[in-house]
Amino acid sequence: MSSRLTVGHVAARVLTFVILVVAAVAITAPFLWIFRGAFSGSDAELYRLPPTFHAENLTLDNFGKVTEQVPYFRFFLNSIIVSGTVTIAQLITCSTAAYAFARLRFRGKGVLFAVVIGSLMIPIQVTIVPLFLVMSKIGMTNSLWALIFPGIFSAFGIFLLRQHFMALPYELEEAAKIDGASRFHTFARIILPLSGPSIATLGILCFTYWWNDLLLPLVMISDTDKQTLPVGLVLLAGRFSTGSLGTIAAGIAMAIVPVLIVFIAAQRYIVQSIASSGLKL
Amino acid sequence: MSVKQAQARTRGDGVAALAFLTPSILTFLVFVLAPTIGVLILSFFDWNLLSDGTFAGLDNFQRLFTDERLLGVYGSTTYMALVILAVNVVLGLLLAVLLETRMPRWIRAFFRLSFLFPFVVSASAVALIWRFLLNKDLGLVNYLLGLTGLDRIDWLGSSTWAPISVIMVNSWKTIGFSILVYIAGLQSIPKQLREAAIVDGAGAWTRFWRITFPLLSPTIFFLVVINTINSFQIFAEPRVLTQGGPGDSSRTIVEYLYDRAFGDFDLGYASAIGITFALVLVVLTAIQFWFSRRWTHYQ
Repeated sequence: MSSRLTVGHVAARVLTFVILVVAAVAITAPFLWIFRGAFSGSDAELYRLPPTFHAENLTLDNFGKVTEQVPYFRFFLNSIIVSGTVTIAQLITCSTAAYAFARLRFRGKGVLFAVVIGSLMIPIQVTIVPLFLVMSKIGMTNSLWALIFPGIFSAFGIFLLRQHFMALPYELEEAAKIDGASRFHTFARIILPLSGPSIATLGILCFTYWWNDLLLPLVMISDTDKQTLPVGLVLLAGRFSTGSLGTIAAGIAMAIVPVLIVFIAAQRYIVQSIASSGLKL
Repeated sequence: MSVKQAQARTRGDGVAALAFLTPSILTFLVFVLAPTIGVLILSFFDWNLLSDGTFAGLDNFQRLFTDERLLGVYGSTTYMALVILAVNVVLGLLLAVLLETRMPRWIRAFFRLSFLFPFVVSASAVALIWRFLLNKDLGLVNYLLGLTGLDRIDWLGSSTWAPISVIMVNSWKTIGFSILVYIAGLQSIPKQLREAAIVDGAGAWTRFWRITFPLLSPTIFFLVVINTINSFQIFAEPRVLTQGGPGDSSRTIVEYLYDRAFGDFDLGYASAIGITFALVLVVLTAIQFWFSRRWTHYQ
């Protein structure tokens, strides 16, 4: 290729790089700004333009103020409980259902699968009102269960895993069948271990969706103590008139850093799992 | 062995299927099917939170047609959703293709990481950050515009710019997912095809339109469907950035439904709005599948 390195090629490479750098700066700069704000001692400095950086004004006070103004760690714990439980439950229900649709023969399979796919078009936003009534009738509003149960069934998850299971070679299962293994044994010992990437993909997508959700906690939860992080941050910022910009920045930074750490640690895996699960319809 | 089990043996895997499907069927019945039927029933009632409802016939549906705000909200929702869809699908493809050009591994990893990161941060955190950055007098964005000699823009307070702010912030957050799915699609294109085209003397432009683009069409289709469904459901960004305003200029249909249901406690009317929203999604998805038959190439 280097023998064909013309002026045009060089210009194209430079342009490629410039576009990528501009995009990366546009995406990362706001995070850097908020991190600087989290450690900033005075709001005046935060609002000074152009943004300046004085090491002598750095402080950790903002983080303390966050936990004074709202039950921050409670929010955090609630978010982890909700997203973690939904993800585990969703992986169980989706993988078992996907296996039935991919490998088992039974009456009504086609109709049932059509119903699952059809429900993709009825998102939770449509059914939020009766969902709220159901939850309040069984006395679950204002508890974390109200945030967990509605997320467990996922038509998208069943569809994603079914596609993957169908692509696995039959021969392995045939061998297990001859050895007299039960369906469950085949599923747990042969299918699941071969499905790491697509299960990880579903897990990541599910966890981030429920970690980020604002609507369901706003509808279901009224006690501050039972709120999740997205609502918690809005509550913190709602006190902006009394609190300070630095405090809000610290609250946001504290919400971002754990995600950032997990994300950097798992990023190669995330990219690979989405790449190899081949998201397609 | 009971008669039923014997029948299952010969006919298929009925018993096993039932066992495998029970967890999802139960959650589906209670948390998807029951509320779906509930929406249909509620929409025929005049129902507020304090008292049980009274039958209202088609009143709620008649209101849909006389509610001028609803039409306006659908207008702003559609406008924002379509632009977000276009930005994510087109700009996402451009960035993914550029990312797949030759470059050192760690640089590629750095770009990929930065593009994807906002996707895992909560929408309310993202919207709060941008609420500062887009502030008219004190925000960094207007400061940068000032440096280039442009006028300040009232990003969150003008009915022209508020929906554009929501579009920018949502795309900023979600484009990384589209880029990642594109990268997966690009990597699944056999290298031999591109190499053969190079041997035949095809330039980069021709290779893209003749090989990459057609083979990527299932991925593009997937992203169009997913981005449509997601961008019509936006709630957090306008809620935190603009509260839907000024007027209804940046209000989405989910926000409007939420306010009718949990602001006015008008559960019957909110349910009727929910039905229209489901119909919109069904029609959009049907149109997309119809189009995909015509131009999607599967390998």
